[in-house]
Amino acid sequence: MGKIPACLRSTATQILKNTAQSQPSKPSPSSHFSRSNKKLKSIKPLKPSLNPNFSSPITSPNLSEAKTLINSLISNPKTPIDLQFHNSLLHSYSSIAPLHDCFDLFNHMVKTLPCFSPDRSSFHILLSHSFNSKTSHSPVPHVCRVLDFMASHGFPPDPVTVDIAVRVLCRSGYDEDAVKFVTELHCKNSVTLDYYTYNFLVKHLCKNRSMSMVYTVIDELRGSVGMKPDLVTYTILIDNVCNSKNVREATRLLSELNENGFKPDCYVYNTVMKGYCNLSLSNELVKLYKKMTEEGVEPDIVTYNTLIFGLSKTGRVKEARKYLEVMTKTDHSPDTVTYTSLMNGLCREGDAMGAMRLLVEMEANGCKPNACTYNTLLNGLCKSRLLDKGMELFGVMKEGGVQLESASYATCLRGLCREGRVGEAYEVFDYAVETKSLTDVAAYTTLESTLKWLKKARGQGLAV
Amino acid sequence: MLPPRLKKTVMDNPKKLANLIDLVNLPSTLQEFVGQSQISRLGCFMRVWSYIKTNNLQDPQNKNLVNCDEKLKSILLGQSKVDLAELPSLIKLHFPKEPK
Repeated sequence: MGKIPACLRSTATQILKNTAQSQPSKPSPSSHFSRSNKKLKSIKPLKPSLNPNFSSPITSPNLSEAKTLINSLISNPKTPIDLQFHNSLLHSYSSIAPLHDCFDLFNHMVKTLPCFSPDRSSFHILLSHSFNSKTSHSPVPHVCRVLDFMASHGFPPDPVTVDIAVRVLCRSGYDEDAVKFVTELHCKNSVTLDYYTYNFLVKHLCKNRSMSMVYTVIDELRGSVGMKPDLVTYTILIDNVCNSKNVREATRLLSELNENGFKPDCYVYNTVMKGYCNLSLSNELVKLYKKMTEEGVEPDIVTYNTLIFGLSKTGRVKEARKYLEVMTKTDHSPDTVTYTSLMNGLCREGDAMGAMRLLVEMEANGCKPNACTYNTLLNGLCKSRLLDKGMELFGVMKEGGVQLESASYATCLRGLCREGRVGEAYEVFDYAVETKSLTDVAAYTTLESTLKWLKKARGQGLAV
Repeated sequence: MLPPRLKKTVMDNPKKLANLIDLVNLPSTLQEFVGQSQISRLGCFMRVWSYIKTNNLQDPQNKNLVNCDEKLKSILLGQSKVDLAELPSLIKLHFPKEPK
């Protein structure tokens, strides 16, 4: 960082942030969640759109109209009479109508259609639509009414019911009620929520509430429902504290996790490493990686990307390069993020040509550069005063319609103006406005301030 | 998508932002050029710059210079040649700071 003048420093951090964003920053929780979502989708047949002809047959929330429509549909002999079709009718009506009308329609369907035998999924459709955004009151009574309705038809709530109810409550912002609801349901019907629901709830609370509240809820649920946080829960918690840059808390959670008999997996380590990375603690980063390999946890591509990004960020490009070799040796093929992080590190050292060589290497390995790669390179080239190379790259970007990032845009403008190529700077400005890379205000403000700076620099004989 | 630094200078400073994008009543010379009675400083700059581009007023030898035609001269202090680097500040002259 030594070489970079103070006025450029914020630009440097900016581009780094951009690279950071392009990283798959939350590897662990998302992968856990995708698993949970998959499971849920297979359980609740909430997607009547499988039947494209009837994706949304009912368009008006008027009850009698809906009844007539259903009657006419049923009298048509071509209409399928399976449960899926009935559910799709119910789905399309309940997504637009108030709850009591849905109950009416449901009863009407049960009465008039002898072939309609509602199962759990039909009730779950009602439940998932029990709270429309139009009503501003608490969704809790609605949810309770659907549960009562279900019970009266001989379907006591099961874990899937709980899951849907919790998601409905959380979606409408009543997460505290969701916790209460879960506890109540456990006491009354002895339904326990499964870990997918539990972790969803914890993640939702992490996003929207303070950590202390999350801990209180976890304790509460431990006491009332008897559920302890599992490895995924810990990953969510660690991810959350790392995002708020509280690595000390992350380490505490890590040791608590060990005490509870869990063995941290790759995702946990990746999350903690991301935390170190955000704080530029590269020593800790490498230490953690070593610990991870010592414990026999197999690092994945995210681990390496985080490691390489962190080392590049703190100016230890040589070491980062070494890990690239380790990566290829262990059969992990480096991706665009890996290369871009390394290029970023090289550009920081002022070795923009090295970064360009890496681009060649990258493309030889069949890895396509993305907008972030181009912007990193453009920024690096303009900063190391390799303007012609930079403009060449800009030409390539222009051809591909790659959007500019504000940092590389500003560096490019400054570089051009310094060399007295104001006309070209205006072209870059036009390109930024055309591609909507930046807002007009941002693009113009940068141009204006650069030209202002140019005037000053000319006065001091620093620019042409 | 404003960068953090700009957020500090422009977004955190509503006055500066307003100065750039608020519509301003124009003096008669400028009114003739833009064909409107009100325009923002940003809009005015864009208008002038696109006028230069559509009429090919950039000097073919030196892209940094603009050879003003009569219409452009009337709003840019009557100069026949204008450096593109000066363009924003020349336009700014038409948008004086409002007195407190």
